[in-house]
Amino acid sequence: MTARLTPDAGPPRRRPSFGWGHTLRLGWAGLRRDLRAADVRALFLALVLAVAATTMIGFFLDRIGSALERQSGQLLGGDLVLVQGNPFDTQVLDALEDAGMTTARQVNTVSMAGFEDRFQLASLKGVAPAYPLYGSFQVDFGDGVETTTRLPDRHTVWVEPRLGTALGLSLGDAITLGDEQFRISGWILEEPDQDVGLASFNPRIMINLPDLERSGLIAPGARLTWRLLAAGPPEAVSSLDSQLEAWQDRGIRVIDVRKDSPRIGRALERSQQYLSLSGLAAVLLAGVAVAMATRRYVERHLDTAALMRCFGASQQQLSRIFAAQLAMLALTAAAAGAVLGLVGQWALLSLLVQFLPLELPPPGPLPLLLGMLTAVAILIGFAGPTLLRLKQVSALNVLRRELAPLPAAGWVIILCASLMFGALLWLYSGDLVLSAGLLIGGLVTLVVLWGVAQVMLSLLLHGATLLPRHWRMGSRQLARRRQSSISQILAFAVTFALMALIALVRTDLIDDWQSKLPVDAPNQFAINIQPSQRDGFISALDTITDSRSEVYPIVRGRLVEINGVTARDAVPETARNDGNLRREINLTWAATIPDSNTLTQGAWLSNDNDQNGQTGTRDAPVGVSVAESMAKELSLGLGDRLTFDIGGREITASITSLRKVDWESFQPNFFVIFPPGPLARFSHSFITAFHLPLNQQQALGPLIQQYPSVSLLDIDAILQQVRDLLRQVSRAVELVLLFVLLAGIAVLYAALTASRPARSHEWALLRVFGAGDRRLVRTQLAEFGWLGFCSGLLGAMLAEGVSAMLYGVWLDLDVRVHLSVWLLMPLGGAILIGGIGYLLSTPLRRQAPMESLRLLGEG
Amino acid sequence: MSTPETRKQDVEHPGQDGRLQGDHARSARPQDRTPILMARQLEKTVGSGSNAITILHALDLEIHAGESVAIVGSSGSGKSTLLALLAGLDTLTRGELALFGEPLSSLDEDGRARLRAGQVGFVFQNFQLLPTLTALENVLLPLELSDHNVDTDQARQWLVRVGLEARVQHLPKQLSGGEQQRVAIARAFVARPALVFADEPTGNLDRATGDRVADLLFTLNRESGTTLVLVTHDPRLAARCDRTLTLDDGRLHARASDHARGPDTAPPSHEPEGVDH
Repeated sequence: MTARLTPDAGPPRRRPSFGWGHTLRLGWAGLRRDLRAADVRALFLALVLAVAATTMIGFFLDRIGSALERQSGQLLGGDLVLVQGNPFDTQVLDALEDAGMTTARQVNTVSMAGFEDRFQLASLKGVAPAYPLYGSFQVDFGDGVETTTRLPDRHTVWVEPRLGTALGLSLGDAITLGDEQFRISGWILEEPDQDVGLASFNPRIMINLPDLERSGLIAPGARLTWRLLAAGPPEAVSSLDSQLEAWQDRGIRVIDVRKDSPRIGRALERSQQYLSLSGLAAVLLAGVAVAMATRRYVERHLDTAALMRCFGASQQQLSRIFAAQLAMLALTAAAAGAVLGLVGQWALLSLLVQFLPLELPPPGPLPLLLGMLTAVAILIGFAGPTLLRLKQVSALNVLRRELAPLPAAGWVIILCASLMFGALLWLYSGDLVLSAGLLIGGLVTLVVLWGVAQVMLSLLLHGATLLPRHWRMGSRQLARRRQSSISQILAFAVTFALMALIALVRTDLIDDWQSKLPVDAPNQFAINIQPSQRDGFISALDTITDSRSEVYPIVRGRLVEINGVTARDAVPETARNDGNLRREINLTWAATIPDSNTLTQGAWLSNDNDQNGQTGTRDAPVGVSVAESMAKELSLGLGDRLTFDIGGREITASITSLRKVDWESFQPNFFVIFPPGPLARFSHSFITAFHLPLNQQQALGPLIQQYPSVSLLDIDAILQQVRDLLRQVSRAVELVLLFVLLAGIAVLYAALTASRPARSHEWALLRVFGAGDRRLVRTQLAEFGWLGFCSGLLGAMLAEGVSAMLYGVWLDLDVRVHLSVWLLMPLGGAILIGGIGYLLSTPLRRQAPMESLRLLGEG
Repeated sequence: MSTPETRKQDVEHPGQDGRLQGDHARSARPQDRTPILMARQLEKTVGSGSNAITILHALDLEIHAGESVAIVGSSGSGKSTLLALLAGLDTLTRGELALFGEPLSSLDEDGRARLRAGQVGFVFQNFQLLPTLTALENVLLPLELSDHNVDTDQARQWLVRVGLEARVQHLPKQLSGGEQQRVAIARAFVARPALVFADEPTGNLDRATGDRVADLLFTLNRESGTTLVLVTHDPRLAARCDRTLTLDDGRLHARASDHARGPDTAPPSHEPEGVDH
């Protein structure tokens, strides 16, 4: 008998094994059915948005970023510019070309240009084929302005119109340069590498390099600058890094587009930081939506999971089926998002194309991969802990609902999501310390916000009795549904804060750029004004312009000693080749601090040097103010004594203050400012900057003729180039802002859709007890309105706090309080969430309560 | 005696002092032979085309003020669907249905809700208290929704009557099933409605608790003179009603024996005491 009871009827039946194929089939079937559910749609939408945002911004950044770098290269003339006083040897040329760079030679010199009996000092630029590497010229050949990349023909030159004004030239006239005569074939209005600094005081002449050589101006003793321009892909530039250092050691000056973008450097850098910030914001937004949609997804699947457990599915099989289902969802969403991102960036660029005279490189595959990776990472990080609930379901849950596993604690979800977001930050930024810092800061902030949200809801609950009766119910419901309301408020506050931040930063960035380049920014510099001409010139100038900067004296001096030690030996090793030590720098004196400067340390100069016997000798140094950047570079501090050599005579100064100088302000700026008095005994001239609209510049003619020794430097073209670039960047920034805003709204919608079932039960009950449309609408508006208001208020706190940090630490903008944020965000939040809530609840108002929920026991 | 027309006006123009609402309840007394609920050839079909299933077939029904009517039937016979239709919670496919003399098919969702406000009470099998409201606030709900004077003391009194004076500020999740159902009963009667619908009111409770809840329901119904429409599969509960209608596969049959019994012959009830858990 016993033997018969043992399984002699055959081996025990094996538990049916679930192969991956079977799992995938089950997962797919489940997913197809699920696509009807609002939460799965919301989950799908959020993932699509996240991927679309990252790929779109990724592609956009990748392409626009390289294009902007090229534009910046255009201002320099190349990605790399090497400068020295002698011709470059073939070794340098070969090294550049071996690295995959295209090169162009250029020689700059200053010479007299003669026409009939008149002469004028001019800057000659001798250019060889391949120039310009980037950009084009704007030349007026007599029949309108033409954009071209060809060079002047042999025996001809292009000249700047102001040379024409000075010498009385017309097209076709021949001017004398060195030993040769050259016919003027065009007026040059714009050229790519125009921004070579204030050294180019003289009007420009563009000439073919062989012609320049033939003119005899390239001779021993002539003051010549050889420039080697090189353009190539970023990898090629990077591969030359060690070579560049070696060349610098040999005395070659290296201008690198990555580090030395002229003037617009900071703008470009900040716009790219902005775009990355927007990308991360979009990812975080989508993550929040995923987290919210997942909660509903899991609650809906608890019964299914319990049933499957009843029918014998193991935990592992359950996990596999749901994992397969979600993996398919994520991959489909990622593919859809990637396509959307790709189409989106094409659409954006085609919109932008008329504003972007940039040659865009094709999109690379990296953003696509990053987008896919982001989708999976978001799903694991933001949805993972919630999804684990499905695995823990017991079969008994079928019989007893209350046995459902507890929802994952909020802090577990937040921690897991934060860790994943931190990892993404690390991946995108490559900076572990920064990512960890942001992560910890973010978590601390969330804890604070959680506390504030608790207080807000308590106030709302107790204050609800003071509200009109119609509005009371919705407020009470929101306040009582404490945990879910707090998680929604936090999620929406983060969403609002991100949207606001992206908008704020955009506004402040563009304002910052515009304030640096106001419409009446000086577009002309007048230099070399002799003391005897000063009053006459300035009063003559004031009759043609009313927008003029202060008039500053200029004294040229070389810094020779620091605290009694030879300057080169006194500074850190890295600063020994600093330009401020090798060449003469401009010194000035002023009674008050210039407008574009701010005092950062010490006190402004006192005017009573003479009374105190501070005459500038080594024993009685005179107090000076030094630019912060120079002090930092040379490791100078308050009290340090600097000795300058001015035309063979020395003056010693002691640093009494440091100033932050805005070098991008297009105003005369100085490294060292003396008090009035001590420098006056040295030979000096004056400088001023002024604004004169383009159409009034003929008024300069008489001034030039009256004061021939005063040089005028026209920087209008440079200003225009910078403005154009900033306009393009601003436009890109605005478009990205628009996308983040849309993503934010979509996320809010997705999150509210996912939370609708919980609310619709209550609404349907109110309907059963006789709530009319007006009453329902008011209840819903009150609930969503308060939700939006609290989220907006919390979002304003977050946005203001984070913006202060971002501005101060990252973007280098002035920290400011944004009153509009405090006003608009709570109100806007109330209107936006109230509006979305109203839209979502409209179908419910039209539906019979029986359709909204199964109120009754059986049918 | 108010006609259905004047009732409609009362709903749309409630009195300042709540007296008109009180009049509804008083007007719905046995001597008023105007049916409070009337259905003609009522039909409910779900689905469409070849998938259409008819749940209720050509029902005729009249319920008069002050009556208590039980609707019984086996599972799936359409009892709850009928209750939902009668209360205006669902839309009918064919036929006519009038509540308080007002044809429901002429009203939209909003209109039907306003017709119910303050005039119709509900007791559900699964209690259906609003989870975010305290016991007191749940009881106040019909007053708030019907533009009655929101009298907190009155609501508190009702909680005292159902024996829950110690549970006034508790949230539903802090109450037992029996307690939740007693809150639901207080909520059903607080606005002195003309009509109360009860759907398996004891279905989710153990027998002892169920008995006490049923006693409470019938006592309050008798005291308030409210019309009661009760859906149940429990013959003991049905027996306590004046009339029993049996629903069988979507068709209605009246039980003549029940019909004979008047409202005053309901079995003796006892007031609820203590708090059940």
